[in-house]
Amino acid sequence: MAGKSGRTISNKPESPIKKIIFSWEGILILVLIGVNIFCKWFSEYYNMFNLLRQMPVYLAEVFLMMPMAFILVMGEIDISVGSIACLSATMACIVCNTGAPFIVVILTALAVGTLCGVINATILTNFTELPPMIVTLSTQIIFRGIAEIVLGSGGSISAANTAGFKALGTKVGKVPIILFLVAILAVIFAIILGKSTFGRRVYAIGTNRLTAHYSGIHVQKIRFIIYTVMGLMAGLCALFLVSTSYGANTTTGTGFEMDAIAMAVFGGISSTGGKGNLAGGIISAFIIVCLRVGLGQRNVHAQVILLILGVLLIAAVALPNLIGQLRRAVKKQ
Amino acid sequence: MKKKSAFRKLFGSREFLLAVIVVLMFAIVSAVNPAFFSFKSVTDMMKNNAVTMVMALGMLCVMLVGGIDISIMSTLALSGMSIGMLLKYEHIHNTLLAFVIAMAIGTLCGFLVGLVISRADVPPIIATMGFMYIYRAMGYLVSHGGEWAGASALGTFKNFATTKILGLSCVIWVIIVCYVIFFFFMKWTRTGRKIYAVGSNAEAAEVSGINVRNIKLMVFTVMGFLAGLGGALQVSVYASAMPDMQQGGEMDVIAACVIGGVSMSGGRGTVIGTLFGAFIMAMIPKALPLLRIDALWQNTIKGVLILVVVLVNVILQRVADRNALKGREM
Repeated sequence: MAGKSGRTISNKPESPIKKIIFSWEGILILVLIGVNIFCKWFSEYYNMFNLLRQMPVYLAEVFLMMPMAFILVMGEIDISVGSIACLSATMACIVCNTGAPFIVVILTALAVGTLCGVINATILTNFTELPPMIVTLSTQIIFRGIAEIVLGSGGSISAANTAGFKALGTKVGKVPIILFLVAILAVIFAIILGKSTFGRRVYAIGTNRLTAHYSGIHVQKIRFIIYTVMGLMAGLCALFLVSTSYGANTTTGTGFEMDAIAMAVFGGISSTGGKGNLAGGIISAFIIVCLRVGLGQRNVHAQVILLILGVLLIAAVALPNLIGQLRRAVKKQ
Repeated sequence: MKKKSAFRKLFGSREFLLAVIVVLMFAIVSAVNPAFFSFKSVTDMMKNNAVTMVMALGMLCVMLVGGIDISIMSTLALSGMSIGMLLKYEHIHNTLLAFVIAMAIGTLCGFLVGLVISRADVPPIIATMGFMYIYRAMGYLVSHGGEWAGASALGTFKNFATTKILGLSCVIWVIIVCYVIFFFFMKWTRTGRKIYAVGSNAEAAEVSGINVRNIKLMVFTVMGFLAGLGGALQVSVYASAMPDMQQGGEMDVIAACVIGGVSMSGGRGTVIGTLFGAFIMAMIPKALPLLRIDALWQNTIKGVLILVVVLVNVILQRVADRNALKGREM
């Protein structure tokens, strides 16, 4: 793992077309087209209309993927987001049942998410020795634990006043609101990560934290912001989760953190930090969404879809490494 | 450098601190509710947490080389479900054979994980996340899409957990044997010390002639073996096999190691510490009802405990570092 990044310096300028086709994003677009052709062949109901109709259930996870990409680029990980989504969904339902106006419900979900994010961020920036995996592991248990306490022995709550949540799930024309929101946020996050100073600093932290610190980057400030945004987006994800199920229970959002990480890593964002971009993450997210909709239409068990996802994930990371090793071995001879 | 006396070494060690915590917890809970202080309650506690206790040993090895394995509970489900189905459809009857099959499946699963991590350089968290999905799905496929193997289907296999040898349940003997073997393995065998070497500094270990890739492969294979053993134990203790058993339980195993003082960046951690960590994790669900705390609070308390332990650890380390610096100034 260490010292084998396999980066080579080539003096020959590559042609831009070749660069696009042979880049990871190019391959992902080909995979996306391939998946769509496969789904079309596999299921007779697979068309644009049904895809748009069934998409929102799976799209909520894409909200988590975007800030997760930032965290992975920094070379860190946050496994508490599924629990944050659970806690904010629970709180949103409770506030909704008190009869508060819907804007208050939205603000509650976002505020609870942000608060959880701030808690993570505070611990992580004050105790920099601690690996993020451990801290978010414990907060994962704590946040879901609080949701369990709040929900009581029944373990679930349903939103009595569903008008507002229904409004969130409506469509403009044929396109659901959530897709618009995902698209807008994706563009914003992609620009911040790829083009802004802030984004370049995130890459700098991911490549070499100490160097970044000595070159005057406020590493802890940036980490604080990113973990807080992660919480905020988990709150947003919770809102859309409630808008598809009109309720919350103790298992809401279980495993979402893993799905979000899987999307990002499959999109070429390295979990060791410093590599990848958000475009790859977004394309891979849509590959997974299309695959889930297509296979789900023919009643393929969710576990089989996860099996395919697992194989894709490992292959996406292992194959480039193996090809690199093979190339080096050939060159040596 | 001054050599610390054996006495000071004992009291300064982390294991001693953990032992004090365990004894304190025992004392407090027993004072509130004397029902806790009995041989039966302790053995029951160990029996119910046998899976976590045994698998924490594998996780110790994995974390010592700086890795992590979150696929273990899926491996457990796959191996446990496989023997559950074999027993249900009466392909096998022998308890020992069932254990061997479960451990073989687990070892194979762990070997595959190790191959991907050590040969293809995939980060452990990503590789094991992929295998977590794959093995869990394979468990479902083995169970014909969600069938259970209940107590009646398991025949004589479930008697393993109720059989007693020398007054102790077989399950507890398995735990004891595992811990004794690992204690000697990690402390006094060449391979055990190599694991520590790889974890402390992989490059230095490589230069000094240790095959780092093979050590990593071995560590994940051992983890798989213990997960297979855990699968057989789980099926026999709970007298049922279902494809979603122990989902999310890997976090308990990791937490047991972390409380036991195993460092996530590798190289630090002991078998004794892991034992105490696993014991503390086992005590929480058992002690809370006796303290008349609602079971709903269980997870929150568990999470807070993990957080407090790691934070206290960091603060103690900071104080120690500061004192060391002071010593240099003078």
